[in-house]
Amino acid sequence: MKQYDRVYYHLMRDAGRLGGLPLWLVFRALPALLGTALVLLVLSAVPARAMAQEGGGDLTLASLASGQMLLQGDRPGHYVPALLQSSKARFAISGMIATVVVEQSFRNDSSSAVEGVYAFPLPDDAAVRSMEMVIGERRIIGQIREKSQALKIYDAAKAAGKKASLVEQQRPNLFTNRVAGIGAGERIIVRLEYVQRVTFANGVFSLRFPTTITPRYMPGRPLEQNPEQEPPPALAVNPRLGWAVATDQVPDAASVSPLQFPQEGDERAPLNPLEISVRLDMGMPLARVEAPYHDIALARRASVYHIQLADGVTEMDRDFVLTWQPVSGASPTAALFTEQVAGEYYGLLMVLPPARERAGPAPPREIIFVVDTSGSMGGVAIAQARDSLSRALLELRPEDRFNIIEFNSSHRALYRRPMPASRHHVQQAREFVRLLRADGGTEMLPALRAALDPPREGDGMAEQLPLRQVIFITDGAVGNEVALFEEISARLGESRLFTVGIGSAPNSWFMREAARFGRGSHTHIGALEEVGAKMAALFAQLSESSAVNLNVNWPVPVEACPERLPDLYLGQPLLVAVRFGTEAPAGEVVVSADIAGQPWRQQIQLSDGADPVTAARHDGVASLWAQQKITSLLDGLVLGRDGDAVRAQVLPLALRHRLLSPYTSFVAVEEVVSLPEGARADTVPVLNTRPRGQAPQTFAYPRTATTGPAKAWFGMLLLFAATLVRVLRQPEVDHVPASEE
Amino acid sequence: MFPRARNEHWRSWLGSLLLLAACQQLAAAGLIKAKAWLAPVLIEQAWTESLERGGLPVKPWPWADTWPVARLRVPGRKLERLVLAGDSGNALAFGPGHALASSALGGAGLAVIGGHRDTHFAFLQHLLPGEQIQLQLPDRSWREYRVETIEVVDSSRQSLARDTEVERLLLVTCYPFDALRANGPLRYVIAARPESAFQMLSRRM
Repeated sequence: MKQYDRVYYHLMRDAGRLGGLPLWLVFRALPALLGTALVLLVLSAVPARAMAQEGGGDLTLASLASGQMLLQGDRPGHYVPALLQSSKARFAISGMIATVVVEQSFRNDSSSAVEGVYAFPLPDDAAVRSMEMVIGERRIIGQIREKSQALKIYDAAKAAGKKASLVEQQRPNLFTNRVAGIGAGERIIVRLEYVQRVTFANGVFSLRFPTTITPRYMPGRPLEQNPEQEPPPALAVNPRLGWAVATDQVPDAASVSPLQFPQEGDERAPLNPLEISVRLDMGMPLARVEAPYHDIALARRASVYHIQLADGVTEMDRDFVLTWQPVSGASPTAALFTEQVAGEYYGLLMVLPPARERAGPAPPREIIFVVDTSGSMGGVAIAQARDSLSRALLELRPEDRFNIIEFNSSHRALYRRPMPASRHHVQQAREFVRLLRADGGTEMLPALRAALDPPREGDGMAEQLPLRQVIFITDGAVGNEVALFEEISARLGESRLFTVGIGSAPNSWFMREAARFGRGSHTHIGALEEVGAKMAALFAQLSESSAVNLNVNWPVPVEACPERLPDLYLGQPLLVAVRFGTEAPAGEVVVSADIAGQPWRQQIQLSDGADPVTAARHDGVASLWAQQKITSLLDGLVLGRDGDAVRAQVLPLALRHRLLSPYTSFVAVEEVVSLPEGARADTVPVLNTRPRGQAPQTFAYPRTATTGPAKAWFGMLLLFAATLVRVLRQPEVDHVPASEE
Repeated sequence: MFPRARNEHWRSWLGSLLLLAACQQLAAAGLIKAKAWLAPVLIEQAWTESLERGGLPVKPWPWADTWPVARLRVPGRKLERLVLAGDSGNALAFGPGHALASSALGGAGLAVIGGHRDTHFAFLQHLLPGEQIQLQLPDRSWREYRVETIEVVDSSRQSLARDTEVERLLLVTCYPFDALRANGPLRYVIAARPESAFQMLSRRM
């Protein structure tokens, strides 16, 4: 007690000598505190040596890297990732439905345990219905859970040192797989199964399997990050291991912007190898089976085709597309598949309306071309876009009007208003197209607005042409898809929007949905050689009459998706997924429409058939119905419905059908603890391969300012204020004794 | 008497409170500076050791999540900085950092080094085109660059293009140098090209 008193007394005397407590604080306490802090900092930071490792050939700065993602390869500038990914895709195609098993194998080549994060694409209409994790001989079946609940289960398993895997949907065609507890030298396999509809258009069946993600542009202003809050210790650009910073328009930017290898993909020694095997059973003779972007080996047993890659393995740098065509005359015109799951019957109806000659020439129309010239189009994509546009210009007739809008960070139109497609104007347009270069951002929204806004009234050429068609040429590499869909559905009016997807790995979801909301069609162009044929097919759709007023009459009450049937363009089939309820469907389905001004109808019998295309029972139909239902419920978000209401409808549906959705995730946890307690596992991104032919990816500038100056300035201000308070008090202190005497 | 005393009391409290707040702010600012000025001592030791061990990464302190990857030198200004791996906030607090998303230092392609404008990279404002910059790599070789262009860019409008062919070095810091705002979009970018491919023998610096 006494000692404390003494200390207090000395302190007070010291303070008194300096002229008061505040001054004492400034001149005694502050320097002492600062000094102590400095000394502590020096003492605590004793240099330590990182544990060295017994050397391998490729071992340089990095393998022990905490959160390091790349090992330096044998040549400068070439890297070997710490976590290697390879994929296998097994397709079982039967009739109009494909069941696909994708196997992702993660091998940890580093010398410590890691958590891997892999962002990967799947077809945009994939109904992902099962997941399992394979560790050596053990198989762990993934459970479908509400998204946040799944994340909790996964995080708990990760923290406990268990092996676990979490598959989440970020976009309908973009998923992430997190795999925790991959020990040094270990391999974990995650197997996903999805069901998908086969695309059937213009008499050709096709299937698209995306393998990599074109880096997307994230419009909007970066969300302010709290500068006090340092990012967690991951050496990747940010914690979700994407390169993009969240913006007000794309708050999940980091989750949809996976990092890529700095070097280009290599077909012989792939960075992300992919094996493919396809079992194709159409139950009818096929005229041809082709993969336009890959070399394939084809074997045939009876009517079943087996397809593999000619080299066994390929680089995951472009979409895998398989197309096949029945011999002429064997093409189906109608088919109905059903499946019974949990006592309920589901169906998938496909009907192809016949092509009918239009009576007389097509009416004149106004065509607006919108071409994406953003940085992500750099390389082969812009060449394909230029070629497509030039080709399209040749298809214009003198009575048509047209305009071209190019956009990147800003947009620019060729003409102030659409011009007649005279020879002079077409020549001008060709010159404009020839000079297009890819550079800058992808500010798609203003360009879309400009294209969809109808021409102003009384604007010289007042006469409105009967057809207004917008042809949108892009790779769809944007992160704000839903905002764009909203814009399209709100502003479409009498226009029709057709999308042309360009490049090795276009955003297929954007292409399909933009065309759906734009009540048009979508086309993919993946190589320069295809431009001619694809643009010709597109223009055939543009000028031929479509099937309108479609109606499907079911013999029993059903829940059908989509509820509102779209208009169909030339060569497009009608696809409707239905839920019949608990009774086996029977009777006759009647489909009717107006084609070229004449009525058309077709009946389909609800009964078994021997032909696989029309065979009644088909695995996966229920999943496809649920997926279709979820898609139409999610349309509510675009049309302005309340997010919580949509979620409340989608969540039970996705859980019941065990489907991945924006609100559900798959999680698998091994019950054995495999990492020693306290062991640190770094989070490592799996790098994607850059889309083939694409110009290099961009990345953000580092954030290079501290809050130091602001703090120092504010501190000084406060100090000044404190001094002011003190100085203002001084005269009174002098005054007090005087008055008392 | 009493009101004045109470007044006195109130003033004294206000004064102390302001002082306390001032101390807190100044200490925080001081800590940022102190980290920036003290860490190089340890990083220097780590780098020396790293060179001795043939380029193996050596963490400057046990819980560090970064390590030196190169030495940056501006001979004309007798300036030296050790470049750390990564350009996240926790690396930049201790020294300029090499952006992992960019190409490897000293190799083909565009390599980016970022640093805080008010500490390690404050000197960038004085650099002039034509000045020499040297870079020591973990294998003890030195590479020489010459400043080619200096520009201010808006990082919210532009991003860096990854280039793997032409060797270039970008030194990036925030701009303007004396701004108080920490989240500004402007960046001061110094682009340098290799003077030649020759390598100087490693000497003690």
